Amino acid sequence: MKAEIKLALTMGLLGGVVVFLFGGWSVTVLGILIGVFMGLSIGGRVNKKDGPRKLALQSLSTAGIAAVVFIAVSLFQNYVVAPAGGQFPSELYIVIPANLIGGLGMILFTALTAALHGLPDRQERLGKLILMVVLVIAFPFIDRITGLHWSGQIIFALIFVILGLGLNIVVGFAGLLDFGYAAFFAIGAYTTGILSSPQHHIFMNFWLVIWIALGMAALWGLILGTPTLRLRGDYLAIVTLGCGEMMPIIFRNLTNVTIKEPLTCWIIPGIMRLFNSSAATKCITIIDNLDLTAGEKGINPIGRPYLPFIGEFQSNNPIPWYFLIILLILLSVFLIRRLRDGRLGRAWMACREDQDAAVQMGIDPVHTKLTAFALGAAFSGFAGAFYAAYIRGIFPSVFEFSTSIIVLCIVVLGGMGNINGVILGGIIIMGADRLFLPALKDLLKGLMDHTILPALASNHTLQAVVAQNANPILYRYLLFGLTLVIMMALRPEGIIPSAQIRAELHADEETSAVEKAVKN
Amino acid sequence: MLELIEVHTYYGNIHALKGVSMTVAEGEIVTVIGSNGAGKSTMLRTIHGILRPKKGTILLEGEALEKLPSHKIVERGISQSPEGRMIFPRMTVQENLEMGAYTRKDKAGIAQDFEWVFKLFPRLKERINQKGGTLSGGEQQMLAIGRAMMAHPRIMLLDEPSMGLSPILVGQIFETIVELNKQGTTILLVEQNARMALSIAHRGYVLQTGEIILHDTSAKLKEDPMVQKSYLGAN
Ligand SMILES: Nc1ncnc2c1ncn2[C@@H]1O[C@H](COP(=O)(O)OP(=O)(O)OP(=O)(O)O)[C@@H](O)[C@H]1O
Ligand SMILES: [Mg+2]
Repeated sequence: MKAEIKLALTMGLLGGVVVFLFGGWSVTVLGILIGVFMGLSIGGRVNKKDGPRKLALQSLSTAGIAAVVFIAVSLFQNYVVAPAGGQFPSELYIVIPANLIGGLGMILFTALTAALHGLPDRQERLGKLILMVVLVIAFPFIDRITGLHWSGQIIFALIFVILGLGLNIVVGFAGLLDFGYAAFFAIGAYTTGILSSPQHHIFMNFWLVIWIALGMAALWGLILGTPTLRLRGDYLAIVTLGCGEMMPIIFRNLTNVTIKEPLTCWIIPGIMRLFNSSAATKCITIIDNLDLTAGEKGINPIGRPYLPFIGEFQSNNPIPWYFLIILLILLSVFLIRRLRDGRLGRAWMACREDQDAAVQMGIDPVHTKLTAFALGAAFSGFAGAFYAAYIRGIFPSVFEFSTSIIVLCIVVLGGMGNINGVILGGIIIMGADRLFLPALKDLLKGLMDHTILPALASNHTLQAVVAQNANPILYRYLLFGLTLVIMMALRPEGIIPSAQIRAELHADEETSAVEKAVKN
Repeated sequence: MLELIEVHTYYGNIHALKGVSMTVAEGEIVTVIGSNGAGKSTMLRTIHGILRPKKGTILLEGEALEKLPSHKIVERGISQSPEGRMIFPRMTVQENLEMGAYTRKDKAGIAQDFEWVFKLFPRLKERINQKGGTLSGGEQQMLAIGRAMMAHPRIMLLDEPSMGLSPILVGQIFETIVELNKQGTTILLVEQNARMALSIAHRGYVLQTGEIILHDTSAKLKEDPMVQKSYLGAN
């Protein structure tokens, strides 16, 4: 019972914090999401035999407490925080339905999800699947109706989910620490940019380009991996760090590319000169002074996907983009699962566990690691192509070291080797980065301008310091770093760890338990 | 079946094998005895392709192995239960055994070999879902041998299977090796425990600081005064 109250309070407050920042209709969306999440967490501890009805009834008390806390925070936001930040509280005709639907939604969905746990295994899985599908499909429409406009940012988060899934192959499955993953993201994006932009007068179809981007990223994975993957552990990490640093610099400087045919330009004239002949040969120049990447300016605009009925995807309508990226994620998850469960997947895990033993089993370690590297890179090609088309432009600064670190953060937060965890990790981290922090910034700014700074008016220096530092976006990387540190210290297996990794990380505990058992 | 001709192996500039020549015939149990650091494990690693000989040839049925990578050598029918067992600690017994059959694609054969392993080591069947790292030392040794069996090798290399085991368990393991051999697996056995090794082997080689100093049938080696003094602990 105590655990339930704790869960209810945490969830209510957690949702409350988000509502705190966004206000308005966010209470409805959050209520439903948290309801599902709470139902899932309760489900982990229940007695399956109780059956769906009893489980649903049991969850009601928890859900009720959470909903009360949640709505209390929401109302506090609307009537206390918003005015203090210089905004008008939402009108009653929004407040009442938003909170009502949010609170009831939380209770309803908690009960529904909890009830699913009482069904037989197959039905339980089917039920959860249907619930997820309905939520995923409904989200952009609810988002539009309620005027929250989260979809645009959620799409960013989903791009990073694909990146996380790709890096998870390298780091999670094969155990290779890669600090330069953004390099492949860049290659995918630039391939798309170069092949579908008026800057180069090439207008290739997006549906074709995305596969070329995938292939290019994989190819470069092979090219960069071949010399480096013979290295182990720390050395590999350092080399990938270097590759990742090089990539934006290369793209910054590919502004004047000239490729000459070597035979006619250097070899034949060289031989001629040896014989003191002055006969001029014609030098064949294949590419002359081509501005491939346009340096810091980047490539823009970039072609966009087109579908019959929908037409060309537009910036002001996130819904087609949303479903496209969801499809890409589904495809990636499907492929990655197949890989993980196949022969290759087993070779990856064996190399991660003990490379020397893997060699004894007849596994070729270089080949195994290289495929992990190349396939991991391939998925970032998907992400890169989508990104380029969605943003309509690409710039070298997007692909710097920090991007690699964010993706690594996603994999660590989600739990290395865990596909579902990485998806959740990507949404949490990028959601925090793209939605939460900017909203927090606005809230703080409002509070500053209307309440706090006027209160500090007597002390000008203090006022200036507070005004300058009250921008949470400044602390972005601090927060990512903190996430890594906290996760490694408290839950190295990630938010939802795979059974295998949990066993690896807690092997000592397990061994000592066995030792104890043996002694007795 | 397996033949080493004048094999030299180095670790950097440490000359670990100094021209080792030996043969193993089909169906035999051949043992290599020698003290610590003699180069026994080095020899097995060289045969298995994990180390490369600088000079000399290793032939399996006339085919040279010394240029092949390890995984090709496993495919040719050589598997090893390595020194220190090298179990995958976080994989279950079942997964460890599956890794042993990594190079194979014949599902039916693999299923048969699972039965084969479980018949020789019923203990492994009881612990099929336990993590390799949590097995006792003896069970890990069984798993290492079982895993080598899963490759269905023609020759199995065993590196000190008795290490760290109680006398009863050593007896059991050696009985299993004899049983394996009876069922058709040729065995190259490296041992510190010379007495046990010579009691089951047909022939033996004595390796000392990287050189073969003696080879003969097991019976004769047991009688040899030098062997008795240095390796059998007689006085
Ligand atoms: N990786 C290595 N690097 C350098 N020297 C090594 C390495 N491995 C083994 N040696 C050296 O090679 C020699 C032979 O070692 P090896 O492991 O083959 O001995 P061994 O006969 O198996 O001994 P033991 O019975 O103790 O296992 C030793 O002198 C050892 O120090
Ligand atoms: Mg040894």
